[in-house]
Amino acid sequence: MTEVFGIDPLIIKNEYYIEYRHSYGKTSPFFENLSKGKIMATKCEHCNKTFMPPRADCPYCLRETKWVEISGKGKIHTFSTMYFAGEKFLKDVPFYLAYVELEGVDTLLLTRIKTKEPEKLKIGMKIKLKIARDLEWRASDIWAEPDE
Amino acid sequence: MNILTRKVAIVAGGVTYFSKARKDKTQEELVAEAMRMALYENDINMTKDDIEGSVIGYFSDHFENQLKFGAIIQDYLGLNPKSNVRIEGGGATGGLAIREGYAQVASGLLDVVAVIGFEKMSEVNTAKGNEFIALASDTDWDFPIGGYYSGYYALMARRHMEEFGTTEEQMAMVAVKNRNNAQYNRFAQTNPKMNPFGMRDGGFIKVEDVLKSPYVAYPLKRLDICLMSDGASVAILASEEKAKKITDTPVWIAGTGAGSDAMRAGDRPRDNKSLPLLPHEKPEWYKNLEYPGVHSFRAGREAARQAYKMAGIDNPLKQLDVIELHDAYTSSEIQTYEDLGLAKYGEGGKLIQEGQTLVDGEVAVNPSGGLIGNMHAVGATGIMQAVEVFWQLQGVAGKFHGSDKTQVRGAETGLIHSHAGTGTYVTVSVLRR
Repeated sequence: MTEVFGIDPLIIKNEYYIEYRHSYGKTSPFFENLSKGKIMATKCEHCNKTFMPPRADCPYCLRETKWVEISGKGKIHTFSTMYFAGEKFLKDVPFYLAYVELEGVDTLLLTRIKTKEPEKLKIGMKIKLKIARDLEWRASDIWAEPDE
Repeated sequence: MNILTRKVAIVAGGVTYFSKARKDKTQEELVAEAMRMALYENDINMTKDDIEGSVIGYFSDHFENQLKFGAIIQDYLGLNPKSNVRIEGGGATGGLAIREGYAQVASGLLDVVAVIGFEKMSEVNTAKGNEFIALASDTDWDFPIGGYYSGYYALMARRHMEEFGTTEEQMAMVAVKNRNNAQYNRFAQTNPKMNPFGMRDGGFIKVEDVLKSPYVAYPLKRLDICLMSDGASVAILASEEKAKKITDTPVWIAGTGAGSDAMRAGDRPRDNKSLPLLPHEKPEWYKNLEYPGVHSFRAGREAARQAYKMAGIDNPLKQLDVIELHDAYTSSEIQTYEDLGLAKYGEGGKLIQEGQTLVDGEVAVNPSGGLIGNMHAVGATGIMQAVEVFWQLQGVAGKFHGSDKTQVRGAETGLIHSHAGTGTYVTVSVLRR
């Protein structure tokens, strides 16, 4: 039976479910290395730029980049508390998102901050990236925690 | 640039009543409502048959659950077998569609083009809608950790506050300006008095109302954030020769520009090498500024630089009389003041505080109510901006709005600014009477 929400105008329920077979392509080693406890970025040796999230190809010169391990240490560039979210993440609110500056990395990484003392979060605070014990092969496998 | 020799004018415009949910009409019926206004409520000497082709913008196949919707629109409007193309670029879809229409006419490909935009966001619930919009951010790295647009803009706004001292009160002033402007625009979603489809809890607001509204993502509160809307808009563009036959008051597209930036805002540079300077700016103003970082929109600045060069704008605050810009967030209106060179980088907050962007200020910004007060039916938004500035420059905004209160008197030069993602696509066009 079609679910009907209204009759004038007529409003019915439509559903559409999609399953994707998603490939991480040349950035797959990032996830493989997480299982070894390593956080890897990519570096363009020609432009001397290090990218996190990793890019297999340098956006400045289009040469292929090389994998480099990073410490995962850094500091908060900006952060915010999420009191609302897209439908998929509503169950998680409130949670904390930040752009973090990482040692040896030129880009900022968007990541969650997990902390029991959110009132202490501030711009410039030292953080360290953590790796999930059970990997789900998603960006959510890493997050930042305060490191001071 | 400037190899395109044909002048292009806007000759007619139409919009629908905007609403959280226009359940009374389908997408193509909404477009027909806007097209009917363009054809029959503007003072023009043309018929639908004079339209030689269309450019159709809508943002999301997810919202509409219909691929190739442009073909349905084209058919419904009776425009077959003329040329028809879909343009999509997130929030900048409308601005990009206007540029595509401009290019088709300027190049001589067509003489009269209808630029059409629509969106029907009420087909899904608000949280699902936010999720769909979030799919227009990087789905490998930013979306899977709970990233969504109000979150990204909150992060950018906090950095703007840290870098430049921008305050939540200044942001609230933007919300008050735009929301209250919308109370004189009968099409506006937040205008329950004049819009039969308006939201019941709309109406005038004060700074305290914004500051007291619940946080969505600090520092952004409910009233700092734009609407989600159903609706459509249509602008008809014509070559100089045709425009002069169609109307006594064509509005010329005097300049246009487009810029781009990284999908992930964190990937943008933070150095001083990539700042596109405007004619009135001096490099020493910004010698210690990390640019664009996450606090500024390089794409918007680059689009403005191109458009100003083409239109001969070298003092935007003085030369521009009216602007409709993409105020997805109060913070991004302040950021955009700076990208457009209305204020130095870092001084956007001061501009609103001084009241310079009110209807009777130095340059009226978002007299329609913008995305916060009027509408954000994504694909229709940039075209609504073109129609609004077109009406302002013709001096008929009051007639269309049902109130003269937000008609900018004697306006000669206007600007429209259409913006996507965290600043991934931005278009700027300068319009002149």
